[in-house]
Amino acid sequence: MTQNHTKRPPIRQFGFVKFSFFLSLGLILFSWVFVIKVDGADLFALFSEKNLHSAIGFLKNMFGVGVENPAFTDAESWQNALYLTFKTLEMSIMAIGFAAIGMLFTVVPAARNAADGSLTLSRNWYGRLVFLIVRGIYVFTRAIPELIWAMMIIFIFQPGILPGAIALALHNFGILGKLCAEVIEDLDTRPIRGLASSGASKAQMLIYGVIPTVLPRFITYILYRWEVIIRTTIVVGFVGAGGLGRQFKLSMSFFHYTEITLFLICYIGLVVVADLVSAGLRKGAE
Amino acid sequence: MEPKEILTLKEITKSYGEMRALSPLSLRIKQGESVALIGPSGAGKTTLLNIFASVIQADAGEFEISGKPAHRYTSAKQLARKVGMIRQQFDLVRPLPVIHNVLAGRLGEWGFFKSLVSFIFPQEKDVAARALERVGLADKIYEKTANLSGGEQQRVALARLLVQHPEIILADEPVSSLDPARAEDVLAMLVNLANEENQTLVASLHSVELAKKYFTRLIALREGTVYFDLPVEEVTDESLSELYDLVEMKDNDAKAAVFS
Amino acid sequence: MMRKLLYFHKKNVLTLFLVLVFILSLFSVNWGPELLHAGGLNALQEMVAALFHPDLSPYILQLALIASVRTLAYAVTGMSIAVLIALIFGVLASGLLSSGRWNRLLSMSGFRGLLGFMRAIHELVWAWLFVVAFGLTPYAAIFAIAIHYGGILGRIFADMLNDVPPEPIQALKASGASRFQLLLYGYFPAAAADILSYVMYRFECAIRSSAIMSFVGLGGLGYQIHLSLTDLKYDQVWTFLLFLIALVVLVDLWSQFLRKRMVA
Repeated sequence: MTQNHTKRPPIRQFGFVKFSFFLSLGLILFSWVFVIKVDGADLFALFSEKNLHSAIGFLKNMFGVGVENPAFTDAESWQNALYLTFKTLEMSIMAIGFAAIGMLFTVVPAARNAADGSLTLSRNWYGRLVFLIVRGIYVFTRAIPELIWAMMIIFIFQPGILPGAIALALHNFGILGKLCAEVIEDLDTRPIRGLASSGASKAQMLIYGVIPTVLPRFITYILYRWEVIIRTTIVVGFVGAGGLGRQFKLSMSFFHYTEITLFLICYIGLVVVADLVSAGLRKGAE
Repeated sequence: MEPKEILTLKEITKSYGEMRALSPLSLRIKQGESVALIGPSGAGKTTLLNIFASVIQADAGEFEISGKPAHRYTSAKQLARKVGMIRQQFDLVRPLPVIHNVLAGRLGEWGFFKSLVSFIFPQEKDVAARALERVGLADKIYEKTANLSGGEQQRVALARLLVQHPEIILADEPVSSLDPARAEDVLAMLVNLANEENQTLVASLHSVELAKKYFTRLIALREGTVYFDLPVEEVTDESLSELYDLVEMKDNDAKAAVFS
Repeated sequence: MMRKLLYFHKKNVLTLFLVLVFILSLFSVNWGPELLHAGGLNALQEMVAALFHPDLSPYILQLALIASVRTLAYAVTGMSIAVLIALIFGVLASGLLSSGRWNRLLSMSGFRGLLGFMRAIHELVWAWLFVVAFGLTPYAAIFAIAIHYGGILGRIFADMLNDVPPEPIQALKASGASRFQLLLYGYFPAAAADILSYVMYRFECAIRSSAIMSFVGLGGLGYQIHLSLTDLKYDQVWTFLLFLIALVVLVDLWSQFLRKRMVA
């Protein structure tokens, strides 16, 4: 039994970690200097008298002090707000649905072990190429924030919940793609090879071996991203996509502060409820 | 009727990088035989079985199944009719209910759509039920495989082999992760089932006692070559201790060389 | 037997339910050509075409570079505060420094609630609140990032600290370590790799957040993108986007390399 070649000396391995540490410190220092010197941001001006007054005045307005008919006591406003909340909920469901479907169609070739054939014990020439292309698309779509996607999509679609859903879906498609491809990469391949030796074809190995093993994880990630999407719908609405966010922006422009408070309440309520539902569903999926 | 030769190896070699797993090795196994592979760890038993299963390819030499070169069996389906495998563990898809793991033996015969439908509405339930009956697990048919004990899972793997009904059964240390009582039960079950169906059985085993008790032919591997290949009656205790000891001594020699 | 059959179908039922909910949501949209803007398809074509020849003139490149630096700087400063917040509040939310059961429960629920509030509100909303309160200053973006990500990181830190296996901690405790020492020598080293990995991941997200701070009037890549979009100069938009993508990819690669070396 011959010995393996000797291990790399530990000093070289730690070089990168140390380097990263100093790089981080350097970045932090540089960034603070940039912000204070170059952009001229004045921290102490923040806490000036004037600012304090305007901040307090702002808060007062939000709580409806001195306003005759604050929006959050008005039944009709509530109705409107709840309708918008429902629309926002729909937008989030459409968005996660589109993202999940896109992911499911592209995730298998995006996994390293599927691409190089170690998963299904079969190789082909196009595996590596498709892998790179799909992963590239994932990086592209997730590097661009949802808001910027929305800003562009608004030029194509009329305002409504569909453009918002598409923008959210594009960004999350990339994120789900990466997360779920990693789940496939971490798969224990032995049961799948067991299926192969029973005579299963590639498609059958996928249905009986891969899918049952990855599905619980997939559902967890999908539900988790849905939680994040719910939070982002309000921001996508800012650009005109519809739902709570759009109304929020309008109220901001008209300085209807109590409306803003109403919407914020609905928004936080939606987030809390969505988190609970998601947690419950995730437990059921395990 | 003289049983035909079903597995033929001629001068097979296999290396992993610099390590030679199998030196030129030749073997002939006839249909219906029940053969045990024994030998110390690293001797090449798993590699040999993987070559029999066409999971890996030999670097040189010829390998034939039923007289036909192995690489001419082009589809997984054809191969599955000839060769089936049961391993030590992690062979079954654990999140699936038992019935799907058992019916996996039929996947080679089913088309894509039937497999898809069966995933939701299991087809050929009676086939699965009968197989599970023979291994004594009829009541676990819808149980999640992960909830079963190690011994029960190995029996599910046996049921899968029953359904697949290959001509040759390969077993790679099928009972090594079970406690001694369970191990003997499962091994006995495996050997009986193979005999009942007149299937060829080639099993690698850790325990020489079990090998001598349940098999008719013992092939001992050491460092990638055949150390001896004898009917079980002719195997002596001497040759057995040599098989395992010599390797130990060689290791000690190597250690001595490093530390001197 | 029935119970097992039910289990058998449970997962399928759950998946089916989710699919149904999704299909239902599709009905709320009035599908048809009114969905698109008058020049919508044209705009789409132009955008896709512009992707293949982004504006690479020196003026734009310079603008992109400065905007990228600004975006990066806001993200780094925001995250540096966020990590501080997360360390303090996260430890408090994990309850590892509290003496006695009641104190710990109070500490855990109170601070987890606080962190939850901080992260429930989108960073852009925080930013907008700060702009209204403090005016247009980079600190609006920086604090918005700090608070939102402080909440996220703090909650994760608390969870990771709580998930540390108890045996090594017991050993330290037996040798007489105080609660604070336990934290420093026991809990943190065990969770360090996971914590670092998560911080890097969130840093990448913070860069994106910083980029969109333009929307409340603060500079950076998002601001430039916004300007170019209103001018319908799609080729410029893609230049800025490519810089953003490059920034994100660099941080992602850095984080991957780091994780590989740390696991070794």
